[in-house]
Amino acid sequence: MDLKEKLIILSDSAKYDASCSSSGSTRKNDKDGIGSAAACGICHSFASDGRCISLLKILMTNCCIFDCKYCINRRSNDVKRAIFTPEEICEITINFYKRNYIEGLFLSSGIIKSPDYTMEKLIETVYLLRNKYHFNGYIHCKAIPGASESLLKKLASLVDRISANIEMPTENGLKLLAPDKDTNKIDKIMKTVKENRNRNFAPAGQSTQMIIGASKETDLDILSKSSSLYNTYNLKRVFYSAYVPVNSDKLLPSIKMPPLVRENRLYQADWLLRYYNFKVNDLLDSNNPNFNILLDPKTDWALRHLEEYPKEINKASYYDLLRVPGIGPTSAKKIVSSRKYFTITFDDLKKMNVSLKKAKYFILCNGKYFAENKSLRKETITTSLLLENKESTDGLKQLSLFE
Amino acid sequence: MRNVYLYDGSFSSLLYLVVTLLHSSLTPADIKSYEEYQANLLDNAISIKLIEDEIIYKSYLNKLSSKVMHIVYYVYLSSNERKELVIYYFIKNALKYKDEIIYRRNLNCVNEALKLSKYVGSENHKFKGFLRFKELDNGLYYAEVTPNNNIISLLAIHFKDRLRNESFLIKDKKRNIYALKDESKIYYLNDKDIEKLNINLSDNEKDIEELWKTFFKTIAIKERKNKKAQMNFMPKRYWKDMIEMEEEYENSDKR
Repeated sequence: MDLKEKLIILSDSAKYDASCSSSGSTRKNDKDGIGSAAACGICHSFASDGRCISLLKILMTNCCIFDCKYCINRRSNDVKRAIFTPEEICEITINFYKRNYIEGLFLSSGIIKSPDYTMEKLIETVYLLRNKYHFNGYIHCKAIPGASESLLKKLASLVDRISANIEMPTENGLKLLAPDKDTNKIDKIMKTVKENRNRNFAPAGQSTQMIIGASKETDLDILSKSSSLYNTYNLKRVFYSAYVPVNSDKLLPSIKMPPLVRENRLYQADWLLRYYNFKVNDLLDSNNPNFNILLDPKTDWALRHLEEYPKEINKASYYDLLRVPGIGPTSAKKIVSSRKYFTITFDDLKKMNVSLKKAKYFILCNGKYFAENKSLRKETITTSLLLENKESTDGLKQLSLFE
Repeated sequence: MRNVYLYDGSFSSLLYLVVTLLHSSLTPADIKSYEEYQANLLDNAISIKLIEDEIIYKSYLNKLSSKVMHIVYYVYLSSNERKELVIYYFIKNALKYKDEIIYRRNLNCVNEALKLSKYVGSENHKFKGFLRFKELDNGLYYAEVTPNNNIISLLAIHFKDRLRNESFLIKDKKRNIYALKDESKIYYLNDKDIEKLNINLSDNEKDIEELWKTFFKTIAIKERKNKKAQMNFMPKRYWKDMIEMEEEYENSDKR
């Protein structure tokens, strides 16, 4: 099998991993080395599905002793299998890096022989890349659940980011769809990484991924899981991957298209947890366990709390500004630092590049509302937002595709 | 008559000219480089004698923080035709408001300076990702870019750190200027310095390009196809210099 065919098989089976982030590390180049990491991360291209390509995302092998229902590489599937040698992975990575195709490597793998054996092979590859090829670019590597702690530590000391995918938000979901996987083993990895993390041990931290829509969990289940992961293990990111139906199985939902709008809502809500001081209970509860498909979670929240609006831009606290739809941390900081020196008007907000499309319904600038009529009615705002908002009309189209 | 002050196009001359104007209480209608200035009957084009006393320059420029100087330099790299005037007014106000200047977005010069410097910064960031090197048969790594702003020096510094053991040449096709990195030095060249550029690819270059194009195609999930998002993040003007998009660019409506 030639290199090109291997690359097709092993990138095709790696593509369902959503993470391609190359941020969070400031690894420097050394005297004889090649590469460095950029703290902000760099996107090198965008695939035809609109996703960023930053890292060479491949599996070491798609052979696997596990039989997870949702996975294309499960043992019981009749698919072409391939294995990269460590040298092959290093050569492709270096050749791609020198031409500035990529920011680094994202290496994952099916499980061959045993978790320890697979982990040893991953370590061998990354060790070669760092020490023989003197590669100082970004490396994200998957940790194999069930491998020994000493191997995990060895791997984490070579890479920038390490991750173990939790896949399903509840233990029941995992038992049902991934009978070979065990949440305890994933927890153990996360705990070890959290306790040992420093500038020479996974400096860019750890992340994980959940598949959305392959099992019956609600958005509330998913977001609660994310929130507890952020709090317990200081994860950098939880990625959400809309389930793409690759296998047919009576345990799997029969959908044609991945639930992309739902995935997007979860990302938006995830952002609200990490950067906007929202709690899961602000957004969802048992009476209301799933997100509104038509409106983003923050707008939806604001419309349910209209009595608190409009907020005066020149007086509202930083945290109140963050809760205004359309205003994010960058805009809120600009507003707070500028209003010390002058009174902000709607024109000034435009100059500051603050998006008013959603915000205008929820704010006052120096006592003025954007329209004559100040009465805030939920229905009026909702209708205007939906009419103005491209995203939700796109959402409607997608919705009609898979329902 | 509009008083248009001329300078040689370099960053230091521009700073010296701005200080000379401020120190002599002269208000420019415009500032232009000799190269870009086009004579006009309404203009009074002036090549002013710059102040020679270094101490006067220092008394002005040392008052500007590194944050402000960073913005001034990025505005200078922009291709906006008002950039010199924006710099003049931005520096004038920065001397008055000190570091508060960057929060005074209600002043037009501040708003414009921040927008232009942000544009240069974000274009630089994009090209750090989208630039593509090809390995030539003499071992040189060669890239062509067509940026809107004059960011070749920013790119050269970025890649000099990453590709420490490689020599590279980056060509800005819009301005016909080159950045050559050899050993640990960067040289800036123009067409006159480069007699003939032989672009002969190394033996395995096509194979590696083919691997990359293969990866690029395979990594996309067809059930999630979204060309609009792709185009938003990576507008068409970048495509012609990116090997994975070349073919699609050739087959597309090139506007």
